[in-house]
Amino acid sequence: MTVDERQVGDLTEMLTHFEVERFLYKEAALLDSHQYAEWLELFAEDVHYFMPLRRTRSKRELDQEFTKPGEMAWFDDNKGVLAGRVAKLATGTAWAEDPPSRTRHLITNVRVVEDTGLEVRVDSNFHLYRTRLKSEERSWIGSRQDTLRRVESGFLIAKRTILLEQTVLLSANLSNFF
Amino acid sequence: MSIDLTQVEDLVSVERGEIDRRIFSDPDIFEQEMEQIFGRAWLFLCHESQLRKTGDFFEAPMGRDNVLVVRQKDGTLRALLNTCAHRGNAVCRAEEGNTKNFMCTYHGWTYDLAGNLIGVPGLDQFYQGDLDRSQHGLRSVAQLDTYKGFIFGTMDPTAPPLDVYLGATGRLGLDLIAARGDMEVLPGIQKFIIDCNWKFTVDNLFDWYHPQITHMSAFQTGLLGGPGQLPEVPPLLIDSSGAATPDGKELVLPGGGRSADSIVIVGEYGHAISGPSVAASPVGFNHEWRNRPEAQEALGPVGLTVAGHPSIFPTAWVAITTQLSLRIPRTPMQTEVWWFTFVDRNATPEEKGLATFMANHAFGPAGLLEQEDGENWAQASKQTVGFSSRKMPQLLKMNLGRGKVIKEDGLARIESSTNEHGQLWTYAAWAQYMRGATWEEIRAATTPGDYL
Repeated sequence: MTVDERQVGDLTEMLTHFEVERFLYKEAALLDSHQYAEWLELFAEDVHYFMPLRRTRSKRELDQEFTKPGEMAWFDDNKGVLAGRVAKLATGTAWAEDPPSRTRHLITNVRVVEDTGLEVRVDSNFHLYRTRLKSEERSWIGSRQDTLRRVESGFLIAKRTILLEQTVLLSANLSNFF
Repeated sequence: MSIDLTQVEDLVSVERGEIDRRIFSDPDIFEQEMEQIFGRAWLFLCHESQLRKTGDFFEAPMGRDNVLVVRQKDGTLRALLNTCAHRGNAVCRAEEGNTKNFMCTYHGWTYDLAGNLIGVPGLDQFYQGDLDRSQHGLRSVAQLDTYKGFIFGTMDPTAPPLDVYLGATGRLGLDLIAARGDMEVLPGIQKFIIDCNWKFTVDNLFDWYHPQITHMSAFQTGLLGGPGQLPEVPPLLIDSSGAATPDGKELVLPGGGRSADSIVIVGEYGHAISGPSVAASPVGFNHEWRNRPEAQEALGPVGLTVAGHPSIFPTAWVAITTQLSLRIPRTPMQTEVWWFTFVDRNATPEEKGLATFMANHAFGPAGLLEQEDGENWAQASKQTVGFSSRKMPQLLKMNLGRGKVIKEDGLARIESSTNEHGQLWTYAAWAQYMRGATWEEIRAATTPGDYL
């Protein structure tokens, strides 16, 4: 049996999918093991890390469900701000994460939406589970829209938009990364 | 051991600077607060800029009630309880939006923007026409008024007019936003829940003693100066031994402010302002707007020197970031925090960008500052329950009895180092509302004397 063109296409897609998944799982492992400096290295210098606010709106106004860049957000960060957040965690005086939270990032439903060769648009779902101190338990579920830029070492995250499934945030803070 | 609610003012000792911890978790106290404070005081609802068009609405909390603030056809505003007159269902389940009318999704009773009951399915067929629609509209707040675009409501028809309630102190608090220009609310109200008593979240807004410890890590990142501006990292202020030097630890307000230059203003009905003078305020905040003639006139000579933070009793905080935060009690141990962010409509894109950056990165749950606050308040709230812990008083003794009140420019102010006068003033007013004092009695009891 010869391998036809369609199968070659599938194999190429599988390889991309494998590379993307491997990258995202490695990223999640860095976060859950508190290796924030290494995590930061996965981001491009021009990254936009954005988690808009979400509002309960009627169906006919659902186009206004999420805030846009330039409006209020949970996260609206460039690389400098992300670096600041990582530096903050490293100070030893970031009390919201000392004692550190215990987190687990579950990344699922990974889909390559577009592949331009230079960049790959990837959607994924996440479940970030956190316990803190004796009995605090928090859970955030949502989706991420990533733009992964191909570089020699693999990928860099050039854009990440995080959409939470909560409107009123059911936690006192967002001291962890998504 | 239940609290004797007839002696509620004994729970706050202004003389000793001590508060009975049980007020932070006792369910009977919470119920009394819903009635005597949130059922009577003027409460901030939202801003006129959020309701520009006919039919624009915004749902706002008043204690555990929810009201729909609605722009009317004639341009006026109304605030209507979001509960159907028939069987109680919420008539609107969106947080904000635009509508022609409010239809209850239970049985279809329909109300116009003014709350009039305009449609009852089966009025003739099922009620045989025997239902007086004029008697069953949505309930309005007792009084609704605005101050420079800030919309307030009260459930008490006997409450003094808003302008009187705010007084010079409350008005100054709001002017610290309004006098900056043609202010409008930026889309997106941050809303999040902290497992703590609401009074901790109010108390803390006056507290300029905690930033250098609670927010030490945030100041060390140097990010709060603005985007693209990364000031050098300030030196470590404490080490692993904590503040355990013989004299405590000499503290410097990171961000540049000198903690000694504090101004407190206390006013009738429980409003207060506490924080650094403009000269001593943290770096990264632009004060040029104070040179506007409108600002000079609105703030007056004393107000011009005040950087913040004002509290409009009971739960509205005007933050130095040109934001207004509501601290909404949900249960004795749960508080919802809302952040409204204001920008000048006529500001340049760069100015708006900077304002948005500061708002998004200082406060809110991912804010470099407020990330840390919630855990303090949650842990402090928990320690008001323990049989032995709750017998220890909360201490507000800083500068106690040493605050000389200067009455000038219609305001009563204290100039001193960092202190706890604002907190104590709030709790003293809290006790007056809670004992069910009349409005005249509250005003008399919250008229500043010569010393605090």
